[in-house]
Amino acid sequence: MRTLVIAIGNPLRRDDGVAHHVLIPPGADRRSVLQLTPEIAEEIAGFDSVVFLDGDVTAKEVRIESVDSLPSASTLTHVARPAEIVALARALFGFTGRACTCRIPVSDLSEGEGLSPRTETFARQASRAVAGLRP
Amino acid sequence: MSRRIVIQPVTRIEGHAKISIQLDDAGQVQSARFHVTEFRGFEKLCEGRPFQEMPGLMSRVCGICPVSHVLASSKAGDMLLGVEIPAAAEKQRRLVNYAQVLQSHALSFFHLSSPDLLLGMDSPPEKRNIFGLLDRDPDFLRRGIRLRQFGQRVIELVGGKKIHPGWSGPGGVHRQFTTAQRDEVLQWIPEAVGSLSMALDRLKGLLDSFHTEVEHMGNFPSLFLATVNLDGGLEYYDGLIRIVDAAGNTIADSLDPKRYHTYLAEASESDSFVKTPFYQPFGYPQGHYRVGPLARLNVAKFAGTARADRELREFKQRGEGGVCQSFHYHLARLIEMLHCTERIEELMADADLFSEHIQAKASLNRREGIGSCEAPRGTLFHHYWVDANGLMTRANLLIATGQNNHAMNQSVDQTAKHFLKFGSDGAALDQGFLNRLEAAIRCYDPCLSCSTHALGQMPLEVELLAPGGAVLQRMTREP
Repeated sequence: MRTLVIAIGNPLRRDDGVAHHVLIPPGADRRSVLQLTPEIAEEIAGFDSVVFLDGDVTAKEVRIESVDSLPSASTLTHVARPAEIVALARALFGFTGRACTCRIPVSDLSEGEGLSPRTETFARQASRAVAGLRP
Repeated sequence: MSRRIVIQPVTRIEGHAKISIQLDDAGQVQSARFHVTEFRGFEKLCEGRPFQEMPGLMSRVCGICPVSHVLASSKAGDMLLGVEIPAAAEKQRRLVNYAQVLQSHALSFFHLSSPDLLLGMDSPPEKRNIFGLLDRDPDFLRRGIRLRQFGQRVIELVGGKKIHPGWSGPGGVHRQFTTAQRDEVLQWIPEAVGSLSMALDRLKGLLDSFHTEVEHMGNFPSLFLATVNLDGGLEYYDGLIRIVDAAGNTIADSLDPKRYHTYLAEASESDSFVKTPFYQPFGYPQGHYRVGPLARLNVAKFAGTARADRELREFKQRGEGGVCQSFHYHLARLIEMLHCTERIEELMADADLFSEHIQAKASLNRREGIGSCEAPRGTLFHHYWVDANGLMTRANLLIATGQNNHAMNQSVDQTAKHFLKFGSDGAALDQGFLNRLEAAIRCYDPCLSCSTHALGQMPLEVELLAPGGAVLQRMTREP
C-alpha cells in the first residue's frame, strides 16, 4: 500500500507553510509544493492513496475529509484544488485509490518563517490524524 | 445616454485586472480598456540587498516563469562582474529557458485556452474549462499535462527545483549536468514531438471555425519586438533586438539589449499599474509594440530547427508581411513549443553541456548591469544599479506583459466593438461576450503578477457605468 502525502503551502508565509511541518506516516512518500498544478495528477496515479495537507484560514479544527466529487463551476486558473487534481488523476491517469484532504487551521499568513504557537499545536494534531489514517 | 461596462477581474490569466467598456450617447461602444489593478513593487524591495541575491529574490516575482527572471537577473549579474560565463553554464541556461517556454506555453494553451478553442466561446462557463475537456477529448488533455510535466522536469533536473530554481547566478551556474539527466530528458522527446504535432494539426483545423474571432479579437497593425540571433533566427537567451512593422519591414535591427533604455521608453496610464513601454523614435502611442510568441515569429527570419521551420514558413503565410491577428498567439505558442523541444534534443548531444567548468569567478567590476532574455510572454529586461559594495541602489524591470499592455487594450476595444450585443434596452452582457473579451486578453497569456508585480487571483467582474460613473449593471464570475 503506497501513500503519497502532498504538503501544500508557502513556508515563507508563516502558518501558510504548516503542511510542511506535519509528520507523515512511516513508509509514505512526501511531496512538498507551493501550490497544486495539473501535472501532479500523473504523480498521484502511481499511489494507492493520497493525502493533501493544507492550511485553511476558515478551519476551526484539524479536519480530514474524503475527496470525492469535483466541485461545480471549476475553472482551473494557475492554481488548482485537490478535488480537481484527483478528478484529473482518475480520468486521465487511472488513479483508483483513496484521496483525502487534511485541513489545518491557520491564522498568521504574514511574511516570515515558523509557525504561530496555536498553529504549532494544530500541526501536531495533524501529524497524529494523518498517522491514524488507515489504508 | 452613454454608459460604461466594467469586467473585473478577468479569469484564466495570472494576476488581477478588470475591463471597462464605455458606451456613447447612442449606446454604441465608444472605447474599452483593460486595467491592471494590482501592485507589488518588486523593484523597491530589492534595494539595499546584495546583487548576488537578485536571481533568487527576483524569481519570486512569478511562479509561472521564474526561470526567465533568474536568467535575466543572472545575466545582469554577469555584467556587474564583467565576466563571460563558461560554455556549460550558458548552455544549461539555454536548456532551462527552452524548458521554461515549453511548460509555460503548455499551461497557457492546453490548460487555459484550449477550453475556449475546443468547447467553443459560447459554451457554458461552468463547462468551459479543462474538466469540460475530460468528456470531449481526454487524450488531448493528457498530452497537454504531460508536455508541461516534461518542461517542469527538465527545469527540475537542471535547476534542482521545478519552481524558483536557484542554480543560476552571477558568473554561471552551480550544478553540473550529467549524462543520467540527459538520458531521462531524451526519453521524453518522441512523445513531446508527437503531442505537439497532434496539437498543431488540431488547432490549424479549428481556425476556420474561429474566423470571426481571428479577424476581430485583436487584429491591428503594430510594431513587433523580439530577440534574434546573429543570423536573424529565433533566439531566446542571448542576441540582438529587432523591430519589424505590420508589413514585415525591419524598423530597427541589431539593437543592443543592454542599451534598451536608449530606444525604449515607458509610458504610464492613470487607470493601470502596468507601465507601457514604447519604441522611442516613434513616440507614444505610435511606438507601441507587441512581444511574445507572435512577435518572435514575425521578427525571426527562420527558426533553425527542421520541424519548427516548416511550421514557421506556413505560419508566415497567414499574414501579408506580418501576422497581425493576436488570435494567432496560440498557433505561435505551439510552434515555439515544437522548436524548444527540438532545441532541447539538440543540446543533449552537445558535449559542452556536461563540462565541470560552470562558474566564472570575479568580484564587482561594474556599477550597472543589464540582463535580458526571451521569457515565454516576450522580451524581459532586468536593469540593476549597485553601490561600491555591490548593494542594490535601484532596479528597473521591463516585463513582457507590460510591453503588450497597449496591444491588450486594442484587442479589448476591438472585441467590444464587434461582439457586444444589443437588446431592446441597449447593450446587453452575456457569457459569450464576456468570454470573448477575456479570450482576447488570454491570447497574450498575460502575467500581471510579473508586470505590476501583484498578489492575488483572478475572478471576473463586469460593470456597466453611466457617464457620471454610476454603476448600471455588474456581472461577476469567480475563479
